[in-house]
Amino acid sequence: MDTAEKKVILKVENLSLTFGKVAALSDVSLEVYDGEILSVIGPNGAGKTSLLNCLSGFYRPDRGRIAFDGQEITNMPTHKRAEAGIARTFQGIQLYLGMTALDNIMSGRHIHMRTNFIQNALYWVWSDREETDHRLVAEDIIDFLEMEAIRDRVVGSLGYGLRKRVDLGRALALEPKILIMDEPMAGMNVEEKEDMARFILDIQEAKKIPVVLVEHDMEVVTDISNRVAVLDWGFKIAEGRPEEIMRNPSVIKAYIGEE
Amino acid sequence: MPKVKKNWKTDIYYYTGVMPEVEAETLPALFMKRAREYADEVFMTRKNYGIWQPYTWKDVREQVRDFHYGLLELGLQPTETVCIGGENEPEFFWAEYAALAARAKIVCLYPDMTPPEIQYILEDSDAVYVVGEDQEQVDKVIEIRDQVPNLRKIIYWDPRGMWQYNDPMIMDFREVQEIGRKAAEKTPGLFEKNSESVQPDDMAVLSYTSGTTGQPKGVIMKHVALLDTAYRSMMHMPTKPFTNYLSYISPAWATEQMFGITIGLMAPMILNFPEEPETVMQNIRELGAELLMLGPRQWEGLAAIVQARMLDAGPVRRLFYKMGLAVGMKVAVARTENKPVSTFWKALYPLADIMVLRHIRDNLGLSKCYYAFSGGAAMAPDGFRFFHAIGVDLRNGYGATEIGLLTVHMGNQFNLETLGKWYTSHPYFGDPLEYKISEEGELLVRGGSGFAGYYKKPEATQKAEPDGWYHTGDAVTMTQDGEMIYLDRVKDLRKLSTGYHFPPQYIETRLRFSPFIKDVIILGDENKEFVSCMINIDSETVGRLAEKRQIGYTTFADLSQNELVRGVIQEEVEKVNKNLEEGSRVKRFVNLPKELDPDEAELTRTRKLRRGFIEKRYADIIEAIYTGKSHLESEIEVKYRDGRQGVVRHATFINDTA
Repeated sequence: MDTAEKKVILKVENLSLTFGKVAALSDVSLEVYDGEILSVIGPNGAGKTSLLNCLSGFYRPDRGRIAFDGQEITNMPTHKRAEAGIARTFQGIQLYLGMTALDNIMSGRHIHMRTNFIQNALYWVWSDREETDHRLVAEDIIDFLEMEAIRDRVVGSLGYGLRKRVDLGRALALEPKILIMDEPMAGMNVEEKEDMARFILDIQEAKKIPVVLVEHDMEVVTDISNRVAVLDWGFKIAEGRPEEIMRNPSVIKAYIGEE
Repeated sequence: MPKVKKNWKTDIYYYTGVMPEVEAETLPALFMKRAREYADEVFMTRKNYGIWQPYTWKDVREQVRDFHYGLLELGLQPTETVCIGGENEPEFFWAEYAALAARAKIVCLYPDMTPPEIQYILEDSDAVYVVGEDQEQVDKVIEIRDQVPNLRKIIYWDPRGMWQYNDPMIMDFREVQEIGRKAAEKTPGLFEKNSESVQPDDMAVLSYTSGTTGQPKGVIMKHVALLDTAYRSMMHMPTKPFTNYLSYISPAWATEQMFGITIGLMAPMILNFPEEPETVMQNIRELGAELLMLGPRQWEGLAAIVQARMLDAGPVRRLFYKMGLAVGMKVAVARTENKPVSTFWKALYPLADIMVLRHIRDNLGLSKCYYAFSGGAAMAPDGFRFFHAIGVDLRNGYGATEIGLLTVHMGNQFNLETLGKWYTSHPYFGDPLEYKISEEGELLVRGGSGFAGYYKKPEATQKAEPDGWYHTGDAVTMTQDGEMIYLDRVKDLRKLSTGYHFPPQYIETRLRFSPFIKDVIILGDENKEFVSCMINIDSETVGRLAEKRQIGYTTFADLSQNELVRGVIQEEVEKVNKNLEEGSRVKRFVNLPKELDPDEAELTRTRKLRRGFIEKRYADIIEAIYTGKSHLESEIEVKYRDGRQGVVRHATFINDTA
């Protein structure tokens, strides 16, 4: 993919974040282009999750700014960001364990729901129609992520790999403009990883949603990413195509140490 | 118990009931007729957006018409082959109806076939178009398409993952239909005309044999053959119109061509397609399927679900389940063995049904199932009885792709040892169905629409039908009541010194169905004049039995030679003998005084018998059996776990069966 002609959807400029004396992020700049899969990699404690938390609004950076879709969002609260079109999945899964897979996905639709409390309580024309429309979107996602067999299963009874899928489904239910995924492959077996990798590629191909991926599994990263950014000790030390990154001496140094 | 019938004799069964009128001679003609008659009735349903979405006959007709015109526009000619592969979905069936209406023939692929297998079938069947479900199927065909130069287009119906394939050879199903829709506007009426022009003797389907021996062969199934088989079934086990049918077994298996495709049109049935292969069990329940045709593995899978759930249930529920099933089992065993049921159990049955059995049926989605059918392989008696215990009339059947459905459990006959009674074929389709059993014990069949041969394999065709009879390759025997029992493949039969052929596998499996028997070594070859066997009793169940009857025993050897135990085993052997021809019956048997053990190389690690080794090791026992001794003092060397060697010395009795 030729990134030069692509529109920048998310722009991070000189982002810095400190916890007391610990600098989690130092002067990190990053651009995400429309339709691409960008992976953020780095050793433990490199600042990957801190960066994601800044993007989704869980952390406020000390310095720098974040622009999304031409709009400054540095200080925007999380729920506003969700409405603006930023969705994320979590490393440790945050689902409603007592609800079914379908209901969890439906919960991702809340930002699109327009009926008010009274209308919902009466559950009449408006609510009924709205519920049907949202269900249609949710069913599309169920089809897309191949979750037909677990549609009505309570999430608490599902295995780890399937919960991750439900989590992704809920993020997609927001109909986001960008998807941020925090270690989607962590703790999965090979087959589950392959499934998830295919879904991420499908999201890019069919839904044309750009994906920012934080991932440890180097094989996955090189297989599916268009570009890779490498963090080390809060600094961005490299950025480029996966095959370039794998050959980059400073990346090798950060991962394996000095020769 | 049914008695065994004499061999080498031709039986003809004429059907004496009402003979239905033959409505159409080809599938496209039948399709058109039904589409006219039932335009607004539901023909197919599929689950979409979590809801069962219906397609009426009119809808289906439109879909088929568009695809039909589309195929013609692409250049499909009569007698060419269209290959269809994937899971059972409406598009699969539409593609088949569309291709058949163009006087083309179809060949189906199992969804899990490998590229080399697909290549063989495409080449052998001269396929020019492939209609595949999705990316997975398309990718497999792309891999081998260079080796199949005749291939003109690859069409897929699930666009998922196909977004970035820019290949002129690959087309979307809807794209083909779109082309077809335009063509239909230009030349209306062609679809109807083409459908009527199909001849009964045109090839409809090439169904490939599994190819366990050599290369797979494409069995030619003509329109007339499919209809013939469907009428056989309809005449004996009428399928109610608008029966809810779950299409699950692959159309690549001839059985689904007979059931889903042909009887689907004939009855007509409502064809329901599972959402995903993983949701089948769930879907059966949602639909309340009325006709189910599954393989033994799938039936056993259903039974396993219940057993697994009951393991998780609380003690009270488990108790009720146990009691309910015990009552159901008593009635079922009597019923499947064709014996009267005692009044006591009969009286308890309704109670068990209300409290337990009905709910199991309901949970499995079988409460509306009036025709449950199992075919393709033998099913373990426990699994079979389980369904009868919960009140589902599971029926066994037998047929061959080459010559159609042949037997099925009819009426209230459910002898699980048998494959049921012979069908009568409709006289419209040819001579009455006849069979005979050759001297080698092989089932030969003729009649009906007959065997149409293997595609492009005249030698194999000649070999399968050298004398006007189709040679099934299956060894069978008939009971007194005219029910058929499958023994073995003919090539697996063994010959005795008398020249008689007997089925060792069959005897071995049936004996192993007994809870008291763990392993069996069947003896009998060209140097021996009768069949005998050595039995390794199941120390656990037999031990428990001994405890219950208060018999003291010391070692395994002691237990195995106990008079009562020998009596129990003898009963089991005689039970199996009853279903066998005189010459195949086990005349003498021995309970081995020592368990067969992989550590001593008698068994492989996967518990397969090492026959040669065992026969050498127990040569003295075998000799005693065939020299007519009634007992011997056997000495068997054994190796203990700690490496010590020892000798088991024990009086071993040789038992004669009645």
